[in-house]
This record gives sequence, structure tokens and C-alpha cells, in this order.
Amino acid sequence: MNEPHSGPTGTTRRNFLRTTGLATAGAATASLMVRRPAVAAEPKRGGTLVHLIQPEVPTLATYMSTSSPVSQAGTRAYAGLLEYDFDLNPKPSLAESWKVSDDGLTVTFKLRKDVVFHDGKPFTSADVQFGVMEVLKGVHPRGPGSFREVTRVETPDAHTAVFRLGNPAPYMLMALSSYESPIVPKHLFQGSDLRNSKHANEPVGAGPYKFVEWKRGQYIRFDRFDKYFKKGQPYLDRIVQRSIADSATRTAVLERGEAHLTGFGGVPYSDAKALGKLPHLTVTTKGYEMFSTLTWLEFNTRKPPFDNKKVRQAIAYAMDRQWIIDNIWFGFGKVATGPINSNLKQFYTADVRNYQVPDGLELANRLLDEAGHKRNGSGVRFELVHDLTPYGEEWQRFGEYVKQRLDQLGIKVTLRYEDVATWLRRVYTDLDFQMTSNWLHGFADPVIGVHRNYHSSFIKKGTVFVNGTGWSSPRTDQLMDKAAVEPDATKRAALYKELQKLLVEEAPIAWILENKFPTVYNNKFADVIAGPLGILETLDQVRLA
Amino acid sequence: MGIARTRLRYVARRLAQAVPILLGIAVMNFLLLQLAPGDAATVLAGEAGSATPEYMAMLRQRFGLDQPLSLQLLYYVKQVLVLDLGFSFRHNMSVLALILERLGPTLLLMGTTLVLSVGFGMLLGVAAARRVGSWRDSLISILAIVSYATPLFWVGLMLIVVFSLELDWLPATGMESVAMFYEGWERIVDVARHLVLPAVTLSLFYMALYTRLMRAAVLEQSGLDYVTTARAKGLTDRRITVRHVVRNAVLPVVTMAGIQTGNLLGGSVVVESVFGWPGLGLLAFQSLFARDFNLLLGIFFVSACLVVLVNLLVDLSYTFLDPRIEAR
Repeated sequence: MNEPHSGPTGTTRRNFLRTTGLATAGAATASLMVRRPAVAAEPKRGGTLVHLIQPEVPTLATYMSTSSPVSQAGTRAYAGLLEYDFDLNPKPSLAESWKVSDDGLTVTFKLRKDVVFHDGKPFTSADVQFGVMEVLKGVHPRGPGSFREVTRVETPDAHTAVFRLGNPAPYMLMALSSYESPIVPKHLFQGSDLRNSKHANEPVGAGPYKFVEWKRGQYIRFDRFDKYFKKGQPYLDRIVQRSIADSATRTAVLERGEAHLTGFGGVPYSDAKALGKLPHLTVTTKGYEMFSTLTWLEFNTRKPPFDNKKVRQAIAYAMDRQWIIDNIWFGFGKVATGPINSNLKQFYTADVRNYQVPDGLELANRLLDEAGHKRNGSGVRFELVHDLTPYGEEWQRFGEYVKQRLDQLGIKVTLRYEDVATWLRRVYTDLDFQMTSNWLHGFADPVIGVHRNYHSSFIKKGTVFVNGTGWSSPRTDQLMDKAAVEPDATKRAALYKELQKLLVEEAPIAWILENKFPTVYNNKFADVIAGPLGILETLDQVRLA
Repeated sequence: MGIARTRLRYVARRLAQAVPILLGIAVMNFLLLQLAPGDAATVLAGEAGSATPEYMAMLRQRFGLDQPLSLQLLYYVKQVLVLDLGFSFRHNMSVLALILERLGPTLLLMGTTLVLSVGFGMLLGVAAARRVGSWRDSLISILAIVSYATPLFWVGLMLIVVFSLELDWLPATGMESVAMFYEGWERIVDVARHLVLPAVTLSLFYMALYTRLMRAAVLEQSGLDYVTTARAKGLTDRRITVRHVVRNAVLPVVTMAGIQTGNLLGGSVVVESVFGWPGLGLLAFQSLFARDFNLLLGIFFVSACLVVLVNLLVDLSYTFLDPRIEAR
């Protein structure tokens, strides 16, 4: 931390003089000119960013857990083979180039030669081999899926890694970020029990910040890693991570400037709107493109009444998605049309049955009549228990909306709200539910995030966040199987477009909205959100403004 | 036999009696927790947002959840007997280390709260009782009822709004200024500044309790014969109150404080979450929702030990406060 850098006030004043000088010089292009010096000048170095993470961080082992607090905290220490731009195109990182063979069965990565881990040992292809074959395929929650076709990783030299695949796996290139597939140093993990490594909580990686200390319940501290492979980066001296359980306090602390950054539901949607109006804070919904999150109503299609397609469609028609977004999610969302998020432009199509229509309630009533659910003397067709996904107040409000809305259709709804463990068990192990709200990430490729909800092979009792509706059909299974191994991008897209048409028609799920999470940060900092993973990027580009 | 020796024997006997009690508590805790549906593996996988069946089976095997319940219990009792609190898989850390890290802040907050609330509670109680029915008495009683009835989280948030956001006198959350890394004396001042708001919030609530208790006890004592005797001896009101009445009236307050200490040691989830204080309460609360039973059982066990200890201290303190009471 001995790098010369001018004090914060001095620099600000200089910048201020410079920009005002230029602005008066050329009035017509003033706004353009004001921006230019900031980009051209050497980025300011120094500064401590305090990041609020919610809920509290249990471990820093991102190679073993993808839970949001673990990733938000631990990703600082690790680098990945690739990075991605906002349109989800891969960019070099630890790998400076890569090549997929024509048959799609070999992927060759050329690695950077100037990378060292925090302990000073060099990064080589052996770390990639060990990382993928042992760590990610062995103990990572999603690794066995992302790398399922990888039969071996060859290391012809220290800076070349060749992935040999059983079948083409076009989605694998989307799973190589530092968040999704962190590269750990082989020499510190080999021969030890991966699941009980001390480096779970004292991470050593090749990322921009090195772990310094963790005072449980208080803070986690990461300092700049001076030998980071991107020269001159990171710009910040330090990142400190904190957890505060109370959401009102979190908002107050951000307002006060005691903390500078939070995302992924760190502040309630209602507060995010208000904080965005303050001059020293910015609220953005950028930086979640790689999550492709959807919120929906999920039907248990094994049992009546939802074994009947018409009943499922009726509920899908009855939901006024725009109203839900505006009033329950405070505008932080976009109407969802089907199983694939519109972020995934390559695969997405809106050319499916449209459930968001003005006469939705009428259509729904007609469908319920056709399904044989007549109203009784008191106007009730049937009764229903609606489970609410226990991840926050929005879903409780959403449940109340569903109850009132379905009441108009003559469906009498009882709401049930349980804690996370109980709800997960009910939905994914006991299968003891009729209809539940739910929200899942779709990630950067349908194979990683979408198949699990609709493919028959994912009807697995006891595994969470898989095909909970129990629905499947031979044709949709076939489409997903083909799309998973189709190397040609256009053909893949065609397969997914047919899949979306079929699924939306069958409506095992009523898709409601594409979530837009607010990230709040203090304007003392610039370039905070620079990629599709937002606060789950390494944050090596963040600097003092 | 000397008094000191009697006391020592008494302590030894009480401690010996505590062993089967603690063991019983441990077994009961274990069985009670089994009633909660879902397990740690489900929650971990749930937090990950996705998981493969192999991953979940791996977690269950690692946590020992694939063993029959009776074996799990047997293993747990064996651990407790050698005072091994086990391992928290969620935190990848030993339970003892996790608890010890939080015990310091908990004790600091709770100690301060205890001193503030008992101290001011007694003062206010005596002040009210000495002028029963006066405006001072009414004011203190109203204050006590209001602070007892106001929800803690609201008091906490309002204190933050006033003293932190508006006046900017005190930090809003945490135990230290995290980005500063103070050392030595500066650090003590820093921690003290952070301690003010949570300690005041928590103290207000308990203080109300002690005020009411003290007021009632002083009133009761004031009507007794020894007070009349003292007055007949010609002692001043002040002297009677300080030397005689308070000493007798304090016994119920000490009893209550002993019981409350047990509560306090468990931490205050509300105050800890509002002020981001790194205490045990929040840790226990989170472990319950995460079904991290090893950690939760550990916290329960440590709390039980402390409660036994505090009760013993309270019983001993009686013998100092009132020489008529003997430790046997």
C-alpha cells in the first residue's frame, strides 16, 4: 500500500478545475468534453469499498457453493478462464485465447504466462486440469452439469489446456467465469480433503484481491493483490464486506455512506426507488444479465386440478403481469413470456401463446368451465392451497395478489408461508403442494439453467430447484437433448424456439416476470458494474470516481 | 467449619448437580431440533440456487445425515461428554471457534446493558418510591411503561435516525469502524462509540423492568418495623433508604437480574440485527433457519452452562447481601 497516490480532496479539486476549464472552452461539445479527461487520465488508485452482503456469509468457498453471499464475498479472490461482455460474448481472462474444434469435441485454451496465485506460485495448465476434473466436477453444485461432457483435460505444456469432450457442449464456454468456475491452486488442494480444506475460509486464488482477515459477524477484508495479472489493476486498496441483518439499517448505512455497495436484494425494492433519488447514490439494474432470473407460479401437474392443461392455462391468463411488476416489484421487472429469459437474445422468442391479454379473466373463466370446474351455489369452483416461496416480502405480497385475483375466478385460495428448509422439503422431497411461487436463475445458457425445470431426467425427488412440476413430454425431452449437443448456433436456436412454443402451450408453469434486481452504489466509486455478473464479477475495474 | 469452606463445598455440590442437568438439556435439544422439517443439505443446496442429486448426497454423507437418528444422538452425547462441540459444515469451522468469536461482543453488550439497566433501574425505582404519588413518581412510571412497551427495533431505528443520520454524532452499526483498522486506545474509543446506541436501546427495555421492581420493593420495605425503629432512632430519611431499605429491597432485583442474564447471554436477535452487532443471538437465529444443528446445539449448550453458572453466582451473592442467608 505504499504506491504514491494523491489524497482524495486534492485530486478531486484538480479534476474539477480541469473539467470546468474544458467545459467553458467548448460550449457546444461541453458534455462530451467533460467526460473525456476522466477516461484518458490514469485511473485514480486507492480507496476502500465497503460492500454490504445479505444474508451473512457462511464460507468463502466459491468452488463448493454458489449461494449468493458466498459468491459475493469469495469471488474477489479468484480468477476464471474467461470473462463476458454484457451481450454474453466470452472475453479472455486467464485464458488468452481458445478454440473449439469443428466437431465440437475438443476445446483448446491458451493460458496467460504471467499469472501468479496470491502465494506467489505460478498458475499453469495443471491448475486448470485439477480445477475442472477434481474440484468443479467433484464438489461444485453445478460443475458436474456444466462439465458433464468433459472426459479429460490434457496439458501438453504448462500454458495449454485441452478439454476432451464426449459430446459437443456449446454451453460449457458460458460457464467459465470466475464466479461460476473459480480456478483454485492445485498445490494447495491436492492430496487434501477438498471438502474440509482450510482454504475454504482463507481463499487463495489468482484474483485481484487477496484475503486478509475475517472477523466473524463483523467484516471480511480483502486487499489489493499487487501481482494481479492485469497490469495496474485493481485500483482499490481494499474491499471490506459486511452483513447487517436488518434491511432498514442497511438502507440507512448506505444513505450515510458507511457502506458503498449492495445488490441482489440488499435493500428492499421500495427503498431502492427512494435511494436512487439521492445525489450521492446510483441505483442500476445492470449486471444481472448472466443470471436471467424468472419469477413464476409452478403447478404440481401430477395431481388434480393441475394435471389438466386448461386449468394451468386459466391461471396463466388470470395474472396481470404488468400490474404485478408495477405494484409489487416497484417496477423492477419485465413481463415474462416463457421459459427462456429475453436476455438470452440468441434463443429467446416471443412468438408463443400470449397469456398477457386484456381479457385474461374472461378467457380463464371459459377455460375453467371447459375443464369441468363449475361454480357451486356460492360461486366457488374449487379450493386451493398456494405455497409462497420464502425468499422475501415481495412473494408474500404476490401471494396475496394471486389469492384476490383467483377469487374472481371462483377459486378459493389459502396461503401457506413456511421457512426455507420446510418449503424446499415440501416442494422437492415430499412433492406435497398444489401451486407454489418460485424464482430461478436461467443463467447464460438454457442447458445450465432451463433444462432442469422441464426435462424428465430432472424429475428427482430430494434434489432442489429441479423439475418440481413433474411435467415432461417425449418431444420436449428430445428437443432439449438435441439442443444440448448441437454445435451449430442457428440450429440450436431453432430447437429452443420450438421448445418454448410447446412449453408455453402446455403451461406447466405460469411465467410472470423477468426479475431486475437493483444494485445500489455510492458515486464516490466509478465503473462499479462492468459486466453481466455485476457484483459477482471480480470488481478489478472499480475505482474512485 | 469456616464460612469460606462451607461456600466452597456448596459450589462443588452445585457444580456436580449441574452435570446431569446439562446432559439432559443437551439430549432434549437434540431431539427437539429433529422436529424441524428439512435438513442442512437442503438449505445449502437451496441457497446455491441449484444442485445435482450427487451433490446433495455428498453433502448428506459429509454431514452424517445419512446415519440413523439413534446413532447420530449417540455420537452427539459422546461428543458432549468430552466437551467437543463439533464442526459447523455450513461455516467450515469448529463450533467452539465460531462461538468464541461471538462471545466477546455478546458479553460486552450484555455486560454494559446489565450495568446500565440495573444501575439506572435501581436509581429511578428508589427515586420514585421516595415520593410516591408525586409528579416525579408519575413521570418515572410513565417513562418505564413507555420504554417497556415500545418495540426494540423501533427504538433502535429511531435512535439511528436521530443520532446517526440527523445529528451525525454516533455510528449507526457494527462494533468497530471496519474500514479504519484502529489500534490501541483509538480502538477502545471507537468500540465504545459503537456500543452506545445498541446498549441504550437494550437497556431502556430492561431498565423499565428493574425500575418497577425496585419501586415496589422499596415501598414494601418502607412499611416494615425496622424502618419505624430506625426512624425512632432519629436516622435521616436518606440514611434509612441508603443503609437499610435499599439493601433489603435489592434482593428481588438481583434475582430478576440473574434470570435476565440468562436471556441476555442468548443475545438479542432484534438489537443485533438492527445494529449489525456481531453477537450470538443472530448467529443462533441464522443457524436455525439454515438447519445448522451442530452450531445451534453448541450455542444452546454454552448458554445452558452460562445460565447454570450465573444462577450459582446469584445464589452466592445473596449470602453477601443478606448475612442471614447461608450457603449450605
